[in-house]
Amino acid sequence: MAMKSALKAIRERGLGTFFRELKEEGFLRALLDGNLMSLSLLLQTKLHNRGATLVGVDKFGNKYYEKLEGTQFGRHRWVEYAEKSRYNASQVPAEWHGWLHFITDHTGDELLMLKPKRYGVEHKENLSGEGEEYIYHSKGHALNPWQRDWSRYQPWQPTKTE
Amino acid sequence: MGLGLLASRAMRPLRNSHSSVFLRTIVSKPELQSAESSAAAQAPPEPDLPPRTPVGGARIHFPNPEDAIEVFVDGYPVKIPKGMTVLQACEVAGVDIPRFCYHSRLSIAGNCRMCLVEVEKSPKPVASCAMPALPGMKIKTDTPVAKKAREGVMEFLLMNHPLDCPICDQGGECDLQDQSMAFGSDRGRFTEMKRSVVDKNLGPLVKTVMTRCIQCTRCVRFATEVAGVQDLGMLGRGSGEEIGTYVEKLMTSELSGNVIDICPVGALTSKPFAFKARNWELKGTETIDVTDAVGSNIRIDSRGPEVMRIVPRLNEDINEEWISDKTRFCYDGLKRQRLNDPMIRDADGRFKAVTWRDALAVVAEVALQAKPEEIVGIAGRLSDAESMMALKDLLNRMGSNNVWCEGTGTQPSADLRSGYIMNTTISGLEKADVFLLIGTQPRVEAAMVNARIRKTVRANNAKVAYIGPATDFNYDHQHLGTGPETLTELAEGRHPFCSAISNAKNPVIIVGAGLFEREDKDAIFATVEAIAKKHNVIRPDWNGLNVLLLNAAQAAALDLGLVPESTNSIESAKFVYLMGADDVNLDKLPNDAFVVYQGHHGDRGVYRANIILPASAFSEKEGTYVNTEGCTQQTLPAVPTVGDARDDWKIIRALSEVAGLTLPYDSVGGIRTRIRTVAPNLLNVDEREPATFGPSVKPEVTGKMDTTPFKSAVENFYMTDSITRASKIMAQCSAMLLKK
Amino acid sequence: MLARLAAKRLLEIRQVFRQSPQASRSFSTALNYHIDSPDNNPDLPWEFSEGNKAKVKEILSHYPSNYKQSAVIPLLDLAQQQHGGWLPVSAMNAVAKVIDVAPIRVYEVSTFYSMFNRSKVGKYHLLVCGTTPCMIRGSREIEDALLKHLGVKRNEVTKDGLFSVGEMECMGCCVNAPMITVADYSNGSEGYTYNYYEDVTPKRVVEIVEMLRRGEKLPPGTQNPHRIKCGPEGGNTTLLSEPKPPSCRDLDAC
Repeated sequence: MAMKSALKAIRERGLGTFFRELKEEGFLRALLDGNLMSLSLLLQTKLHNRGATLVGVDKFGNKYYEKLEGTQFGRHRWVEYAEKSRYNASQVPAEWHGWLHFITDHTGDELLMLKPKRYGVEHKENLSGEGEEYIYHSKGHALNPWQRDWSRYQPWQPTKTE
Repeated sequence: MGLGLLASRAMRPLRNSHSSVFLRTIVSKPELQSAESSAAAQAPPEPDLPPRTPVGGARIHFPNPEDAIEVFVDGYPVKIPKGMTVLQACEVAGVDIPRFCYHSRLSIAGNCRMCLVEVEKSPKPVASCAMPALPGMKIKTDTPVAKKAREGVMEFLLMNHPLDCPICDQGGECDLQDQSMAFGSDRGRFTEMKRSVVDKNLGPLVKTVMTRCIQCTRCVRFATEVAGVQDLGMLGRGSGEEIGTYVEKLMTSELSGNVIDICPVGALTSKPFAFKARNWELKGTETIDVTDAVGSNIRIDSRGPEVMRIVPRLNEDINEEWISDKTRFCYDGLKRQRLNDPMIRDADGRFKAVTWRDALAVVAEVALQAKPEEIVGIAGRLSDAESMMALKDLLNRMGSNNVWCEGTGTQPSADLRSGYIMNTTISGLEKADVFLLIGTQPRVEAAMVNARIRKTVRANNAKVAYIGPATDFNYDHQHLGTGPETLTELAEGRHPFCSAISNAKNPVIIVGAGLFEREDKDAIFATVEAIAKKHNVIRPDWNGLNVLLLNAAQAAALDLGLVPESTNSIESAKFVYLMGADDVNLDKLPNDAFVVYQGHHGDRGVYRANIILPASAFSEKEGTYVNTEGCTQQTLPAVPTVGDARDDWKIIRALSEVAGLTLPYDSVGGIRTRIRTVAPNLLNVDEREPATFGPSVKPEVTGKMDTTPFKSAVENFYMTDSITRASKIMAQCSAMLLKK
Repeated sequence: MLARLAAKRLLEIRQVFRQSPQASRSFSTALNYHIDSPDNNPDLPWEFSEGNKAKVKEILSHYPSNYKQSAVIPLLDLAQQQHGGWLPVSAMNAVAKVIDVAPIRVYEVSTFYSMFNRSKVGKYHLLVCGTTPCMIRGSREIEDALLKHLGVKRNEVTKDGLFSVGEMECMGCCVNAPMITVADYSNGSEGYTYNYYEDVTPKRVVEIVEMLRRGEKLPPGTQNPHRIKCGPEGGNTTLLSEPKPPSCRDLDAC
């Protein structure tokens, strides 16, 4: 299937354009990794994006595509992650989440205008499993190095000795 | 349904005569055919209410049984004594009438109008708090008239009340919130601007948000009637009306914190507690207060490991429903200056934290090296009976009998219980008509006793005479003199006040425990007893000779017999065990003496200490205390103790084991069994044990009274013990309120 | 349509908020709390004058000795007359001492009654009736005329200290509306007068003010020359004969 559509793409746009696109999209980096799995996935994404409209790019570089013709309804919006090797769903920021999951037809760029400037928190991806130092700990968490002092009394300091 | 109901009503007489079987088929409504709806239609005319119990356990006291009258509350007959108000009658009948301005311990104002009820044959709803109940009155509390009246009043009250419940400290325990939920409407018709009122500065304890005030005047009446400071008043009129002091004035009363409790809205709230916690987050622990000898019943509200606030608990016999400011606001002292690790002073005079094992080993070693007569143990003013018992047992096992409690003086006499407790009882003071205060200033020594005296002075026009240094009272008093010579005059009948005492029906003499410290205390007490005898103060039905103690530990210490063997043991001591004793004079202590300080605060005591053993404070342990009237009460732990601190008696028990003199108990139950053999009254919790023998069995005293005038026992009301001295709020109070 | 309504509503809301923050109309000349100032603070000495001390004694004699506090209103009135029409804090404290109550009890009374002025007023304190009958008959214009003539705002004293204008509620002479009251504090409590001037017009009040300024006496009562007291203009129109006894009762029989 993938092979078939790849051939179709080469036939439509020419081999040169096809490889240039692949290079731009980190194909070579994936090749150097030696990770054939990600290489094939990348290739698959590239091919899948054909004929789709790029609706927007968020500030992390994730690309959001939509294709209404020739796709099954419900599969007509997708994201191409900027991070090609270690991507996960939490890299989609909140403003694009709604569009991507058909909650709203407003794109992330539109919804970003509603974000309060003063107290809107920056999106952070979920770094579970990446190591303790990446994980957010609440202010009282035992692993938080800046853990708040929960002792509710002041001890007597034996400074004023006679 | 309406038609069916009417039809069934019309049928009722017929149905009652058992002839309704075919008539029922006439009714075309199908729901009436079912069994339950016909049962509903047959409901008896009187509503089937559960049997009623008086609100809040209201007790009825009939002074004359023939004065009882009968009224009907919602159709229920109740017997009440003559002179009760309609509201009280409703409470006896188990109907809680909403109210804001009415307070059972204050005079009746009748200005909030929330307590409107319908009374049969009355053209308008009546304010039940101000209306005396009359025989045969038919009171209706849940009729449409009453409900509409309350709803209207509530709408008026909410007109100028801000909608700031989310940021209001009263939120969750607010009478206005509760009652507007229960009796108010869900909307108001007021569309104008709400008024705003300038906040008043009432001092470091009471925070005011005057815009929230609903003008119930409870605080004004409390200040005037109970606290005795006429500072608050109702200023202005109409919608410009406000509570205030007019001129800038702080509320300098020792009971000012109680206005926080009686304020039905969030206009008067606690300044130290402001924005600290919500009341539904708090865990309440019913315990007692130890900052003075009254033993006020309190509830410690805590969140996690932290005491958030202290509020009073109702106890008619001791503190009614008030507590003093010291009791209420000392709690921040529990969080400061705490001793949390055992510490040993090393060679260069610095304290070093050590483990319990090491600390106890050092103490045991030094104690076993000291000669028995060189060992001294002093219990502090906040000590509980269990730890004092353990201390005495331990020192007795070491061979020493030099154990006493600070504040009981050099030669306390624990032989006659009547010689150190309040024989009249605190509530018994209300029957008195003449007070003679000797060397005591109850306003600073025991604010709750002073409130009781003031109540009596207001109610019975009781006369108060005072002997001691000039001080301010919040009631009328005669200052007879400053020292023992006035006592002599009274004893010999030369003083003009003698006639007042001898003419009195129930005279009361209160002697301050500050006199215990005097060398000539036996002679003074003998003179006081002579006065009592001469003026018939002690009768079979009335014992008016009282001692007002200063510290929470005193009565229990004397009950347990913590009396030193020799008067000057401290001068030759080599090993001193201070169990929370901070106010004991250690100037005469030899320099090579080894001092163990066991306590919860780094206060005066630690500076001479060689070793510090951290103990838990009264809010963290279960302990027995006896108050000044001889009533045994127990504290309960509200919060966990801090750091490595332990209960006092556990430390002593552990020390006894390390020293090889193991005490024969290892639980609170065990130690109480031991106490039973010494002072069984300490186990009858919440009961007052009267003294058995009066002073008549006392041996003759030969000493003479010194002529030095009496001194005041408490210099600063706000700072009397290690907890209150550590408290920032108390320091603020003494800086702002006590400056002359 | 909806947008226009919303915009209109917004405008209304704005107008509501633009109004003065004082929600209630206060007739009192001062705030409900005291602010220390050089001429009004508790440290200033204040005592009843020798002549008034006798009056104080006389006032107190009207009340039982255990209810001395009942004399608070007459005593405050006397103190106000003595102090040129207003009550400083020290005067209230003096009254509290005379009747043996806490000062706050006196403050409560003096803040309640709008006729006790707790801030400075002129020697002639002019009070314009503002209740409905007078308002309908033009009391607003009268007040405006007074304020404009004297060049002050309400409850403000003129520079020479002679006049101040206040508002008062119904003085009970609605038949001769509109009317003003002149409280004359220029001669202390001995020469104190409190006179009604009825049927006034904007022109007439200015004349009254000028006459007061010149120290002339003018007859109180209606200022309409065609009226006698509160009778109708130009003489009686009814009740021209002796009134008949009521027909329902035989008065002689009882």
